[in-house]
Amino acid sequence: MTQLLKGKVGTAGRASSRGLHFNSGNGPLMLPIDIGHATHLGLIDPDAAFWSLVAKEHLAEALTSGGSLMKQLSRRRKRFLAEMDTLRSGLIPSAVYFNPTDRCNLNCSYCYIPESMRRHGTTMTPEQLIEALGILKNHFDRTLPKGTKPQIVFHGAEPMLAREAVFAGIEAFRRDFRFGVQTNGTLLDEASLAFLTSRGIGIGLSLDAHMDRIATRTRSRWDHSSVFDTVVTAMEKLRDYPSFNLICTVTRENMRQLTPIVDFFHRHAAPVCMLNPVRCTRQGARDIRPLDHELSKYYLKALDRTYELFQKTGRKLVVANFANVLVSIVAPSARRLMCDISPCGAGRCFFAVSASGDLFPCSEFVGVKEFRGGNLFTDGIEAALGSVPFKKITGRRVEDIDPCKRCAVRHFCGSPCPAEAYAMNGGMDRPGAFCELYEEQVRYALRTIADGRHDAYLWDGWDNGTTTAIDLSSLK
Amino acid sequence: MKNAPKAVIAFRKVCKAKGTGLSHYILMVGKHKR
Repeated sequence: MTQLLKGKVGTAGRASSRGLHFNSGNGPLMLPIDIGHATHLGLIDPDAAFWSLVAKEHLAEALTSGGSLMKQLSRRRKRFLAEMDTLRSGLIPSAVYFNPTDRCNLNCSYCYIPESMRRHGTTMTPEQLIEALGILKNHFDRTLPKGTKPQIVFHGAEPMLAREAVFAGIEAFRRDFRFGVQTNGTLLDEASLAFLTSRGIGIGLSLDAHMDRIATRTRSRWDHSSVFDTVVTAMEKLRDYPSFNLICTVTRENMRQLTPIVDFFHRHAAPVCMLNPVRCTRQGARDIRPLDHELSKYYLKALDRTYELFQKTGRKLVVANFANVLVSIVAPSARRLMCDISPCGAGRCFFAVSASGDLFPCSEFVGVKEFRGGNLFTDGIEAALGSVPFKKITGRRVEDIDPCKRCAVRHFCGSPCPAEAYAMNGGMDRPGAFCELYEEQVRYALRTIADGRHDAYLWDGWDNGTTTAIDLSSLK
Repeated sequence: MKNAPKAVIAFRKVCKAKGTGLSHYILMVGKHKR
């Protein structure tokens, strides 16, 4: 943990500075960033993830040694550092990405699962899936506090190809886990929808555009035929279902359409969507990777649109991955997604199970054998969590990555993702793919806070179960 | 007349319960328990 303002002088091995000044000796870093706002600049203590927005004419006052900001921060900094430390190293797994089959009926151009697996891979039987959930239940019974319900997200490949097994598992363990299904939506018939919605199962659909021509550029069947109408039909059936969300993978092929896509999702009453920049772990994805500065322009316009839609209709469409960045600023420990922090959540907040029971830190690594930490059926979960492949991921820290180590917003970003850094940039100590997009999201988030608009971008009740640790509005 | 901007805005909320792991996005819309 960072050296704190303890006022101890001359402790062996430590600098003698009492940390009385920002940006020198043992004093905290307080980095100014231009957030592109008319009246305010950001001041950020990166280690503590402490931020403040200071009126430009008050900047000198804010940075004055012994001033109000220094005093207010000093009183709380140790707690903030401890909070970040817990978030980054004190959590244990409570969620599992579970791939019940390696196979998929689609051939999306950016898929991170190798084609041979998606064509010829394994599918769990109901008995195998139930055995696997039993092993997971026993593990979580031992490790999680009483009353905490772990989460299983059936993921892909396409989990509905293993529908019989998935539904048998949900039925057998519905009291033990919170379940979700992330699906391409092509196999959601009436019976499946009735089964899932009557049990309150989270359903995520993947759809990359508001029109067939664009959606089919990246998502189609093996014979290149469209699935757009089928997915939209499923989406319409899920209208007003509260545990429904949409994932739009953003590439060069659809980035210019993000605002109409947001309109389309909102019109279909989706409460949550994700606008996920394509994960550049495989060449097919890298081929359609958008340039950060181009993507940022369209991305932020789409966020503007969600705000306008909320103002106009009173109904939110939460862009979950942006909301997570925003929450990482206003309430770091309330964040939901664990991609935008380092170490990321892979192998420490969640892990992934493949259809053969192999364990990986995250589903991004399914298909990369060197990140296999063991097998659920033969090796057990503890062994995998402590394995070298898992440690490689859980040991990845922004402090070891350039330029992240000197970046003011490093704890609002986390330099995701390790799979991308490894596959695209050559190592875990490299940054992920979308540095500038994160910069721009954080700057946008800080602008929404400066304007008092941040609530409009967050899910209702985002601050339930939180207390206010600091609330400053003056430098007196 | 327009109000002068606040000299500083800084707030931070902290979860009361110790985190044990966090919800996946797919479950964000459901009840969030720690």
